[in-house]
Amino acid sequence: MKVVIAGAGSVGRYMAMQLLAAHHEVTIIDQASAVATRHRDQMEGITWHIGDACELDTLAATGCADADVVAAVTGDDEDNLVVSLLAKQEFAVPRVVARVNNPDNEWMFNEMWGVDLSVSTPHLLTALVEEAVSVGSFVRLLSLEGGRARLAEVTLAAGSPAIGIELAALGMPRESTVVAVLRDGHVVVPRGDTVLRDLDEVLVLVTGDSDDDVRRLLVG
Amino acid sequence: MGLLRRRAVGRPEPDDSCGPTVAIGAAEARMPVRVVGQVSRMRARPTTGVPALAVTISDDTGSIVAVWTGRREIGGVTLGRRLLIEGVALRRAGHLEFTNPAYTLLP
Repeated sequence: MKVVIAGAGSVGRYMAMQLLAAHHEVTIIDQASAVATRHRDQMEGITWHIGDACELDTLAATGCADADVVAAVTGDDEDNLVVSLLAKQEFAVPRVVARVNNPDNEWMFNEMWGVDLSVSTPHLLTALVEEAVSVGSFVRLLSLEGGRARLAEVTLAAGSPAIGIELAALGMPRESTVVAVLRDGHVVVPRGDTVLRDLDEVLVLVTGDSDDDVRRLLVG
Repeated sequence: MGLLRRRAVGRPEPDDSCGPTVAIGAAEARMPVRVVGQVSRMRARPTTGVPALAVTISDDTGSIVAVWTGRREIGGVTLGRRLLIEGVALRRAGHLEFTNPAYTLLP
């Protein structure tokens, strides 16, 4: 896959190295040539491009025209939105991923700005903390397709109404599905006859307005 | 390519020098293209979430979809209207789809 990353901060550089290790073709754009000079040597195999990723010409020069993925991960939400919109509108990039720095801006990171998937670090951290401290609550982990689908996680408390019941008999709403059950450090691929237990971490894909129904079934 | 072209030559004219149009059936994905066709379908989507207008434009050779985000209608874009569309399209579920392409209303 050909990936273009806008922003060579710690997030961008880390992503670039991970993607390179997975044998993807990675180009990284940053405005500051000092950043490139400092890190270029440790990041062999990655194409660097000095320029403003919010400029169409820069994106064209980095080969966005045939990129499979553009990731806008600068520390500036405005820049990330501009890069996303240009990538989608001017280069029809199939997959545009954007980083949300300030959670107040998250509502803008959607189809309207060309964003296919947004990742909000503060939101994710909150979710993880919540997940770490809470058993028996419904924790949203990730939002897909501009919020139309959400990945949520519930750790089943002892009093959960779902315990001891086969998944098929649980009566999950049609707009949702259990995608994985984490049990004792193992991943259980859910089938109709999977029986949920106390302290299972249940990952659910939820769409539409089914959150409340799912919450009622799993949390009570 | 919408912005590049708009910036380079201003408002596109159907027969000017900024490139010939291609038959819709021959249009390629991920390349700047200009196509002319008739609006055969209009759909405001979705009813919830981000508003967008999806317009299907057809000629004798096929159809493409143009999606304009953030709006549910565009003045002058009506069923049966001839349009010149230019932009870069993405292949999606078997059809080509433009996001916010440049458009010109044709008589």
